[in-house]
Amino acid sequence: MKVAFPWFGYDTLALQGFLEDMGAEVVLPPSTSRRTMELGVKFAPELICMPFKITLGNFIEALEEGADTLLMAAGARKCRFGYYHYLQERALRVLGKDFTFVPITQYSAYDFIFRLMPGLFGVSSARVMRGVYLLLAKSALTRDFRRLLNRKRAVDFDQAEKLKESAIAMLRNARTLREIKNVRRELGRMFALNGRKPELRVGLVGEIFFTVDQFANQEIERELARLGVEVVFERCLYNHLRHLLKIDFGYLRSRRLARSYLKECPGGEALRTTGEAIWFIRNRVDGLVHVFPFTCMPENIALEALQRLSERAGVPLLSLSFDEHTSSTGLITRLEAFVELLRRRQSAGRISGN
Amino acid sequence: MRIGLPRALLYYRYGRFWECFLAELGAEVVLSRKTDEEILARGLAAVSSEVCLPIKIAAGHLLELADSVDAIFFPRMNWLGDKLFACPKMIGIVDVAAMLVGNRVKLIAPIINGNFMSAHLKAGFEFTRDPFRVSQAWKKAKSELKNTSIRSDHAQGVRDSTVGVIGHFYNLGDDFIGRTIITTFRRCGYDIITKEEIPDDILSRDNGFAKNIRWIYERELYNAFEYLLNQVAGFCVVVSMGCGPDSLVAEFMREQAQKRSVPFLLLVIDEHTGEAGLVTRIEAFVELLKRRKMPRLARMTAL
Repeated sequence: MKVAFPWFGYDTLALQGFLEDMGAEVVLPPSTSRRTMELGVKFAPELICMPFKITLGNFIEALEEGADTLLMAAGARKCRFGYYHYLQERALRVLGKDFTFVPITQYSAYDFIFRLMPGLFGVSSARVMRGVYLLLAKSALTRDFRRLLNRKRAVDFDQAEKLKESAIAMLRNARTLREIKNVRRELGRMFALNGRKPELRVGLVGEIFFTVDQFANQEIERELARLGVEVVFERCLYNHLRHLLKIDFGYLRSRRLARSYLKECPGGEALRTTGEAIWFIRNRVDGLVHVFPFTCMPENIALEALQRLSERAGVPLLSLSFDEHTSSTGLITRLEAFVELLRRRQSAGRISGN
Repeated sequence: MRIGLPRALLYYRYGRFWECFLAELGAEVVLSRKTDEEILARGLAAVSSEVCLPIKIAAGHLLELADSVDAIFFPRMNWLGDKLFACPKMIGIVDVAAMLVGNRVKLIAPIINGNFMSAHLKAGFEFTRDPFRVSQAWKKAKSELKNTSIRSDHAQGVRDSTVGVIGHFYNLGDDFIGRTIITTFRRCGYDIITKEEIPDDILSRDNGFAKNIRWIYERELYNAFEYLLNQVAGFCVVVSMGCGPDSLVAEFMREQAQKRSVPFLLLVIDEHTGEAGLVTRIEAFVELLKRRKMPRLARMTAL
């Protein structure tokens, strides 16, 4: 059985490690490229949101590589994410390849541990639980790696980019808790700032796929770091897993903070986006960057809240919606203008003595 | 107390009920005027450009009302029945309303979490402290909740010159959006049937594929589509640009229609949709329907 799943930024490594723990042979599709997206766009309905198209492209490329079992997460069916797997399976059947499509319904950890995983890979529930524990540890590691990388890149871009490849190799090879611990220590040493501090900090909020996946958001973190800005974030696989296991206190905090803007959850991650934005503002970020796929329903509601929030708190907001036509040049121009604005505000603040 | 009722979104479904309910509670009900260019322009300026047309129009209506009333009655549909959700934007628009007009007027927004009645009874106490009066108002208004638009000529089944127009009530009900579509079909000699004319028990069926759809109004649309599939000459599906649920459900419908080779027209509308463009597309579609009915020889000579 050759298992494949779509790319999910650096957290792909953690997910791959988990499936290998389950004894599966993982066929990772080639990393997302222009071709992936074009394939996805070709076989997807026109008006559907971007993550669908990108992940569909991943699946097509995985099938080309010889995968026969495709794993796809599925959401709560308030937003379109919950329906992805129906359409993706239909679209892939058209291609005429033989495969099993396994939607992994979230929001029931019990079902996942005791029925789905043992049924799929023939492993004991205890082994799944151990695997989930390791997955949590490793996704925490990828989160720390992203944090360290973002900070280092903001002060010393070239050096950080040079270290990135070897750091990713280390992440890939960390399999036990002890190794994960060692890698974390090693990463801390590698990406040490040596007393320098990033000049500006922006908070990245938005839809999870677009905050996590570097291809989807066109390396927005790298481009901001190139301009000397550190990107702080809360959305990552680790926090999402904790949310699914109902131990994510960050989510409770977001929900509480967002209540002054959104009283009910409109589905998706609108509450998180708003709550995290308020949290970042309280922690004195210089600006907010909001990324989401074009026509994303919950994020558009969150955007309304963010606009008011940014006006009230006086923190600039850059809201970016992505679709298959978003050009990287246009994106970089907008980022440069935004960072320029942040710089001016900072120096104006310094002169007036705030 | 002057209470405003925006003529948008759920109004096209529950409007008569709300008017009756509020009037029974002793409020003076002020309806916003019918959607026009000015209301749309106000809405466009107020919300992000990416949301769908009905939401923009709703924002315009809210701003329009905010100047002239004491409070706005704008219930939040969260879920109904078997945890069937409204779409995220419809849930969120109430929060957007609070951000837009919350500092100027009072917003009375009962949350409908599965129970239509208790949400309204609770809201009733905003107007009066007399529980008897609230329950009387509910009893009187309740009859307006029933689907009364079923036309008798459709009850026996539809004719073969009928087109199924599948679209949300807030799109087709709003003359600003839906009128062109409906009148063009009528002018071309085709009768139309919408989901509002199909009995409720068919719309709320949960067998077959509809079981998987967890959005209330999308499930109704899909059921209506499935019910009409073997009866009508063709389908015209009206979707607003940026509508999330419809982008999926319309795809399922297209697949089904193709399988049975039923003509299928997908109209995606937004604030830039010109009337002439819509008319042209519908006329071309009608032409196709007429061709299909001709015998083979006539079809060839008609060229």
